[in-house]
Amino acid sequence: MQTRPLMSLRFSTAPTQNVGAGPHGTRITFPITGGSFDGERLRGTVLPGGDDWVIKRLDGVLELDLRVTLETDDGALIHMTFEGIRHDDAPGGPYFRTLPRFETAASQYAFLNRLLAVGRGEIRAEGPVHVIEEIL
Amino acid sequence: MDSRFLMTLQVAVVGAQKIGAVPHGTRVTAPIASGHFEGPRLRGKVLPGGGDWTLLRSDGVLELDLRITLETDDGALIHMASFGLRHGPPESMAALARGERVDPASYYFRTTTRFETAHAKYTFLNHLVGVSSGDRRAEGPIYTIDEIL
Repeated sequence: MQTRPLMSLRFSTAPTQNVGAGPHGTRITFPITGGSFDGERLRGTVLPGGDDWVIKRLDGVLELDLRVTLETDDGALIHMTFEGIRHDDAPGGPYFRTLPRFETAASQYAFLNRLLAVGRGEIRAEGPVHVIEEIL
Repeated sequence: MDSRFLMTLQVAVVGAQKIGAVPHGTRVTAPIASGHFEGPRLRGKVLPGGGDWTLLRSDGVLELDLRITLETDDGALIHMASFGLRHGPPESMAALARGERVDPASYYFRTTTRFETAHAKYTFLNHLVGVSSGDRRAEGPIYTIDEIL
């Protein structure tokens, strides 16, 4: 599958909300307080107010379910969601991948409405970083 | 992003249900009657009963929302769900609508795929995300699905 870089995205998060054991596993919500993103075609900041609703499944894998709003440096708002899988104990090393989708009304970013993407997540001391590529 | 071939999947659509103009676009549901899949790690058939819930958006992009059950040749059941986008130049889209064969390189038809299974041999599917390229044929689409590494 051919891909090309779209952006790197960093989040800052508030203390987690440990909802606890539910019917699908252990639910933990990560409030997003901010962040930034940059790539050749878009850059800007993450607005506060989004969250990543995470479930730790019975098989130990984390399922991610994120919704945030991005604001570009030229003032466009972009609705972004992703689902993802984080499997720290995968046989070949940690596996942390996401499937981002975008919606925007800004014509200069309408290309985002028409693409699918994959992200590779990394856990760093300052918070998660997602390297996102467009599926060509 | 590195990826690795997982399987090809062909599904047969019967009796598209044209629900029509709804608040988000034009909705057509395509029941899946049958199909088959083949790859180095799994192969088998598609059980009847799934479907592709499609929505043609106001910007001309078709959203696909597929849910099917796969049955492997050794009897495991796999729940598969995909989200996809399809769009392209008007002449390609018109030819597809007429049921003609169109070079899949001339339009964008990609999906992202998730799997769930209880069968121990296939639990690797629970731990991966997939992406696919589609080739829309009159009798039903063919997907080439890769695992994202």
